[in-house]
Amino acid sequence: MNRREKEQYLREYAVLKSKGKPFFPYVVAKDGGMVIVVIGTILTLSYLLGGTIASKADPTTTTWVPRPEWYYYFVFELLRVVKPSSITPLATVGIPTIALLLLLLLPFYDRSPERHPLRRPVATTAGVLTILAMAYLTWMGAEGGAPSSIDMKTPPSIVKEGGAQLALYEYGKEVIPSSGCLACHKIGENGNPGPGPNLTRIADRLPEAGIAQTLRNPTAPMPSFKNLPPQQFKAVVNYLSTLTKEHEEEK
Amino acid sequence: MLKLPSVPGATPPRPGTPAAEPKTKLDNAAEAATAALGWLDERTALSGTARFVMFRKVPKGTNWFYTLGTSTMFAFMSQVITGVILAMFYDPSPNRAYESMRYINNDVWAGQFVHGMHRWGATVMVIFIFLHMGRTFFFGAYKYPRELNWVIGVLLVLLVMIMAFTGYLLPWDQRAYWATAVGVNIFASAPIAGPYLGDFLRAGPDFGATTLSRFYSIHMLVLPGLIMGLIGAHLYLVIKHGTTAPPWVTAELDEELRSEEV
Amino acid sequence: MTGLANGGGGIAIGMIAVPALGFALAPNLDKKPLAWEAVGTPEEFSQDTYVSRTITLTPGAGETGKSTVYMRARNAEIDKEPVDDYNQFIAISTRCMHLGCPVRYVDASERFICPCHGGVYDFLGQVQGGPPVRPLDRFYTRIKDGLVEVGPRFSVNSELKRFSPRDPAQDLDGIGQYLFPSRPTIRKLPGT
Repeated sequence: MNRREKEQYLREYAVLKSKGKPFFPYVVAKDGGMVIVVIGTILTLSYLLGGTIASKADPTTTTWVPRPEWYYYFVFELLRVVKPSSITPLATVGIPTIALLLLLLLPFYDRSPERHPLRRPVATTAGVLTILAMAYLTWMGAEGGAPSSIDMKTPPSIVKEGGAQLALYEYGKEVIPSSGCLACHKIGENGNPGPGPNLTRIADRLPEAGIAQTLRNPTAPMPSFKNLPPQQFKAVVNYLSTLTKEHEEEK
Repeated sequence: MLKLPSVPGATPPRPGTPAAEPKTKLDNAAEAATAALGWLDERTALSGTARFVMFRKVPKGTNWFYTLGTSTMFAFMSQVITGVILAMFYDPSPNRAYESMRYINNDVWAGQFVHGMHRWGATVMVIFIFLHMGRTFFFGAYKYPRELNWVIGVLLVLLVMIMAFTGYLLPWDQRAYWATAVGVNIFASAPIAGPYLGDFLRAGPDFGATTLSRFYSIHMLVLPGLIMGLIGAHLYLVIKHGTTAPPWVTAELDEELRSEEV
Repeated sequence: MTGLANGGGGIAIGMIAVPALGFALAPNLDKKPLAWEAVGTPEEFSQDTYVSRTITLTPGAGETGKSTVYMRARNAEIDKEPVDDYNQFIAISTRCMHLGCPVRYVDASERFICPCHGGVYDFLGQVQGGPPVRPLDRFYTRIKDGLVEVGPRFSVNSELKRFSPRDPAQDLDGIGQYLFPSRPTIRKLPGT
């Protein structure tokens, strides 16, 4: 903005202001209305949800699955998707520092006198994209299931079979996360996307015998699971061989 | 609608005119109040400040988007009040913190409600400060002459996020402990300064007896002080430069409309 | 006169700020005392799997000063680093070296798995996948009076060379050890 543009803005603003309304009571009334909504929201939330606490802090745990407060989900997801380790500092230090500096110094590099969002296509696009990216990361962070359990529902067709088949299915569903499969594979919302392939529809690609074969003689870096107790091995193979497209869509 | 009232105290109390109706008790009370305000104003000149803050003009076309800043500030005030009350019952030592939180939740009258207000107030405040920043960005309100106020605003966003982070540890439950451990390690991953920053935040190389009280002190003394100071500066600059008009309202356009009407 | 005013003000502010800052920074300079803790007899630890033990990291902090370590006996076939007094037993920290979440050893896959951002470590604690920047930290171990004792923590780079303890997310390969200097509070044992 050069001097002429600055003066023009100040002149225009003075005209607009002189034709405006006094802060009290017009704006105060509007603000007051909004404040009532805001405080009302806080009161409603605390009435409905209250202040809950989890179990006492225990640094010796090896089973707790840490998850942040929802407004840090975007950071959480960023930390999860940025791998391998050579670019980890990008997520922990790089991106946050750059984002903060860009935000802080915004008025010093965006110096055009234009204020209308539709006539500032670059700024508006960047702003909208940032919001969408943060919303997407927040959503993914909220959905990201822990690798310590499988949250997929048992489909009705298997529940109907009942008996030994259902028991084996449920057992497999427990054995898989406790054997560490989800550290490298994703099943439904749980587990990590890589290094191993997504297993949500594995049975569409591999028959039961093929799954058993892969578990015994996998390609590196996957370890062999041939030392699993036979009952557990059977349950794992059985569970994985039910994971088809229909299984995922059956609710 | 209300008319612009005259500032009390700015005009000296009028002496009762002889032909007027007999004074009621209400008149006497009003006169006493005006006199008291006049006394105060004579010694502080506060009426000028009141005029500066409350009776300034705001450009035409301001809409509901302009209430987001006030909303954030009131959410902060709610946090201050509930925070003070929680501090009356909370014990920032690692062996007692969790028990004192359980005491607040289970035994103190309305304890869980106030705890909830503080927790959800933080959520609401985070939402509104981001909405307010978004409004400022899309309306181009950070441009000349309000650049400095944008910088102060971004610092406030940062402080609010750090506030939310330091408050997180205080209940000393599993969620709190691990989220804070991760957070401290994020700070500690900065090159060169990181390791020392991590030691400073934890008060040593590992989480220890004074880590919690350190976070407590930062959460309830350092950050609120900084935030209050910056809110003051933010408001001063808002009032000094005036509220922006929405970018689609321009002086020329207004002029044209007016001439068409005639 | 102006100089006097500026100087006087500066000195006055310094007189308040220096002791206050020093007090706040003291924990950055205090050396952590060396502590060894007995965790069991040598027979309790085998060569091919880990058992967990709870140790005290910070005395005086109650439950929250404790931590869990995974322990096994040294196995010359896989543990290639030179033998000394402190690695007859391998004690591995349960802090993920990405950002410090609690990792779990899974026997079936012989992996350490982090539930936060997907870190996976192999049997030796070396990074197998995900974002962690270095292998899991370890603790010095020794045998004294017939008992296995666990001592201070140290960090390792990808060749399992010992370094003074670092925080998670601090790389130790290449220039990492200079970007993330060791701190006065906590050091590896001299000569190791």
